[in-house]
Amino acid sequence: MSRVLTIALNEGRALLRNRTAVISAALFLLLSLMAILNAWDQFRYAQGLRQTYQSEANQTFDAQPDRHPHRMVHYGHFVFRPLNPMAAFDPGVDAFTGQMLYLEGHRQNSANFSDTRQNTSLVRFGQLTPAFCLQVLAPLLLIFLGFGVIARERENGTLVLCLTQGVTGPQMFWGKALCLAVVAGLILLPALVSLGWLATQAMLGWGLTLAILTGYVLYLLIWTMGIVLVSRFARRGREALLGLIALWAFFCVFVPRIAPDLIAHARPLLTQMETDIRIHKELKAMGDSHNPDDPYFNAFRQKVLKSYGVSRVEDLPVNYKGLLALEGERMTSALFKAYADRNFGQQHAQTRLMDGVGLLAPVLAVQRVSMSGAGTDLSAYQAFLEQGEAYRFGLVQHLNQLQATALTYADDTNKARENRISHDHWTNYPDFVFRPPAMAERLERLSPALGVLALWCGVLLGLGQWSALRLERLMK
Amino acid sequence: MTMLRFEWLLLIRSRLTLAALIVLSVLSIFAVARGLHEVARQNAVIAHLETLQKNDMSDLAKAYGPEGDAGYAAYYSFHHTFDPPSRLAFAALGQRDVLPYNLRVRALGLQAQLYEGDIFNPELALPGRFDLSFVLVYLTPLFLVVLLHDLVSGEAESGRLSLLRAAPKAGIALWLRRAALRSALVFAAVAVPFVAGAVIAQAPVAGVMGGVALIALYVMFWTALCLLTAAFGFGSRINALVLLSQWVILVLVAPTLAHIAISRSVPVPQGVDIVLKHRQLVHGAWEVPKDLTMQRFFHSHPEWKATAPLGKTFEWKWYFAFHHVGDESVAADVATYRGRILQRQALAEGVGYLLPSVGVQAAMERLGDTDIRGYLSYQDQIKTFHTALRRFYYPYIFNKTPFPEPEYAKVPRFEPRSYGGGIGGFYLLTLAALSAGLGGGGVWLMRKRIV
Amino acid sequence: MTEMQQGDQSAILRLKAVSAGYGRRTILNDLSLEVSRGEIFALLGGNGAGKSTTLRVLLGFLKPSAGEVTLAGQDVVADPAAARAHVAYVAENVALYEHLSARENLAYLLTLAGVTAEASRIEGALEAVGLGVAARGQRLSGYSKGMRQKTAIALAVAREVPVLLLDEPTSGLDPRAISEFHDLLDVLRARGTAILMVTHDLLGATQVADRIGFLSEGRLTQVADKSEDRSFDINRLYQAYQTAQPGQVA
Repeated sequence: MSRVLTIALNEGRALLRNRTAVISAALFLLLSLMAILNAWDQFRYAQGLRQTYQSEANQTFDAQPDRHPHRMVHYGHFVFRPLNPMAAFDPGVDAFTGQMLYLEGHRQNSANFSDTRQNTSLVRFGQLTPAFCLQVLAPLLLIFLGFGVIARERENGTLVLCLTQGVTGPQMFWGKALCLAVVAGLILLPALVSLGWLATQAMLGWGLTLAILTGYVLYLLIWTMGIVLVSRFARRGREALLGLIALWAFFCVFVPRIAPDLIAHARPLLTQMETDIRIHKELKAMGDSHNPDDPYFNAFRQKVLKSYGVSRVEDLPVNYKGLLALEGERMTSALFKAYADRNFGQQHAQTRLMDGVGLLAPVLAVQRVSMSGAGTDLSAYQAFLEQGEAYRFGLVQHLNQLQATALTYADDTNKARENRISHDHWTNYPDFVFRPPAMAERLERLSPALGVLALWCGVLLGLGQWSALRLERLMK
Repeated sequence: MTMLRFEWLLLIRSRLTLAALIVLSVLSIFAVARGLHEVARQNAVIAHLETLQKNDMSDLAKAYGPEGDAGYAAYYSFHHTFDPPSRLAFAALGQRDVLPYNLRVRALGLQAQLYEGDIFNPELALPGRFDLSFVLVYLTPLFLVVLLHDLVSGEAESGRLSLLRAAPKAGIALWLRRAALRSALVFAAVAVPFVAGAVIAQAPVAGVMGGVALIALYVMFWTALCLLTAAFGFGSRINALVLLSQWVILVLVAPTLAHIAISRSVPVPQGVDIVLKHRQLVHGAWEVPKDLTMQRFFHSHPEWKATAPLGKTFEWKWYFAFHHVGDESVAADVATYRGRILQRQALAEGVGYLLPSVGVQAAMERLGDTDIRGYLSYQDQIKTFHTALRRFYYPYIFNKTPFPEPEYAKVPRFEPRSYGGGIGGFYLLTLAALSAGLGGGGVWLMRKRIV
Repeated sequence: MTEMQQGDQSAILRLKAVSAGYGRRTILNDLSLEVSRGEIFALLGGNGAGKSTTLRVLLGFLKPSAGEVTLAGQDVVADPAAARAHVAYVAENVALYEHLSARENLAYLLTLAGVTAEASRIEGALEAVGLGVAARGQRLSGYSKGMRQKTAIALAVAREVPVLLLDEPTSGLDPRAISEFHDLLDVLRARGTAILMVTHDLLGATQVADRIGFLSEGRLTQVADKSEDRSFDINRLYQAYQTAQPGQVA
């Protein structure tokens, strides 16, 4: 054991005395720091903006004058997706998803004004965030620092020297691995501090914070082991370097690009326009409230009349137009929900396939852990859309209910009359509050990926010991 | 020539070199195939939606035609606008996966409709597309580094350097020849699939030549960087490290820093503002005296001044007028919003003069007309169409002309915009000058240090 | 018979009827060789004769297919790690850590060898090999090969190992450094270290070795003993060296 430590310490000293290693590590730390500061600053700016918008939208909605409730249905409301402080650590899909949802009657609008729509393609090069530093740049730094841990000793002949001092293969191997693992720990440190800080800001809870942390620890450990293993099998430092860069480019650049491309192609989504057309068509097939002979609405009218025990809509104690609006909105919303569920189902199927690819590429698994843990993944966004839709439905039905009860049928059908009800009816309607997916749900979503990372780690550790036991064979 | 043949023999006998070239060719071919496929898919989606739209329209005509009210026709009928991919889009799919290329609009206020998006899975959009521009900008430099990092140092390490030095005529010419041959093959590995794809896509010759020039210059730039690095006379390992660091900085780090700098220096006024203001204006119209709204509308449309004054009940002409007045009232904000986005794009393209990674990516997207400029001109096309649509309905609405079923066939149809892409000759020249400068510096240094 | 027994008692390095090779290719063919305490044995032979293989077998990196290998009574085949505690090895390129000074190299490698790396032990060893005090704290990247070799041998001195294996120790050394190196070997011999050196340098071997063995196709074709042939007739040995290299015209 003490030999393992001695070897690790000596390797550490070698790194400290290696100018390129020190410079690249310093550059990385500088980048991490910039990423953290920038992310936090951007977050505060965007969060401030969205909060302002939301409170303005709430105020203008509340301040609408006395109106016909159906005018308010069309006036609608805006809700803004609140930014999660964790987005400063891992923005996930944040830049690609709409920030604002316009809620109105009869229609389900898409969430608009994502960052990508007002930005240049520079954003596609990736954003400098702590997560990007850890997922993509940190493995690269580890490669730069560690490609030669064994290969260069072999190339220079110092490996024989150490073995002839009585060092065993496993001592050599694990000493090097220990040193690189400590370096990985140091690399993780600044990101860790930012993670802890943001997690408290976001009130993320210990479970998720630990899960994210574990994900990154395992991920960097996988790279550490991979690097030492490649270094052990390469004959020269340069071979190890080129081999590792090829692996890195494959795993961190190539696979994350090719996999979604193939998946999007294999599982196409319905376009927004086709969804709209289909919903409209299905709605028409169900019934047309404007058509006096429509079977569905005739049956509906009969049902209503029967339940109130009257024979004419004019005799109803409530405004029949309001009841029609309630029924119409119920039907459209049911369709919206069916299509949204179908669309989310399709997207989840795509995402599950991506998670499957994560078995082959740990970077995808760590992205899953990080995004789902931080609450910046697809599910969190869909939760916003679903809650927005639920709020829209509640609000519109509240207004339709008002039309049914606060207005009489006679007034409402009199075209010459301006029908308005007091604005108190909507001023007091509760504001939209977004509830991010619960911790248990997020843990459940990320735990398979955590398992994948642990599996990779286990396999590589086993492979490490196997190859370490055979290290002396290199001296033949 | 015989020397070149000798180099060729050397090259094809090196398994690493050969493998690298084969892998790069396969990646390029695959990227081109994916690009062509995606372009075909987008065209198919557009065609499919066009059919759906046609059916939807004829249903509408049947439903509202008998009533003959142009107001209902204008209110209920959506029109399909679309932005088909250009013939060169296969090489750089650009932003087309996150920016909509299909949008339904109707004759109501455009600003409430223009910013709707299409459905896409953001998790899949996150890493960007796998297309030829990706292979060129990201991967090709890595292959060049693998092939050229030991240009001189490999000879030194195998002990042949002194042998080569002894033949003064060979000298630097040998390395230049070797570098030229290797990078020419790398160029071919990317350019040949590109040209083949362009032929399949029936791309315009000028654009294809522009693309080939861009590929050649980007390969030249990295070759020059490799030469310059080799000239410092480090060992192969250090060369590889230095070149990879340059790659990391140019391709991974600098673009993200540029993004931060640009986003900060050009704050885009939030598009949200436009939509919020627009809604206030449009819905506020119900509270504003109707004549005031009409006066504002007549200001830009005096030709309808003479039509009958408004009565007390609801009238479509007032409804469409206030929608248009809403659009007019935010026109200045829209112009600023658009201007700032373009300003950001211009700055990003400016950064491209210093960072060829960014510049070539932007140029490829410009060539494919798949960048934000392409998207904005699609928006312009939507605007033009929307104007035509309004102006088509106005006579029916203001003159209260009946709008029976046959009239539906007369509704203007959306014409997709023409190809607006291209390649900046000045950018190509700058990139050439940059490469020549770096390469020249490398040769000069080599001459000084080695010979 | 009595000679053999005598050899048994004093031989600290022993190869007995060793055959070894890689895969189906046999390199060492029934090789027997002994080196005693305080003896320098020079092993000469052409390329491919089996010199390096002999060293690998002695270090326990290559398991022989037949025969016995012992170092200081320890069976190398059975427990290579334990046997390595008795041996120091200096490679042809004198592999040491370039980014460390001579002192740091010794301190690190001594710790690895399980020897307490006291300053007095290190300074004593460096003194014994004659490495200048000023150079001891400098990084090896500035050292000449002679200085590196001194450092490597200082390690053997500090470890107090009974056996020293040298691979082509004089290649690339200038005449003065060779003479210094030979003086150093004399010192080690006086301390009772058994030295096996693999070399191409016949002249050097005649100057410093007690015995010279000629290796050809994996076996010793001839052994010249200085005690029997005090002058080490260089011409006769050169003949032997030539004949030990198959396929070469004398």
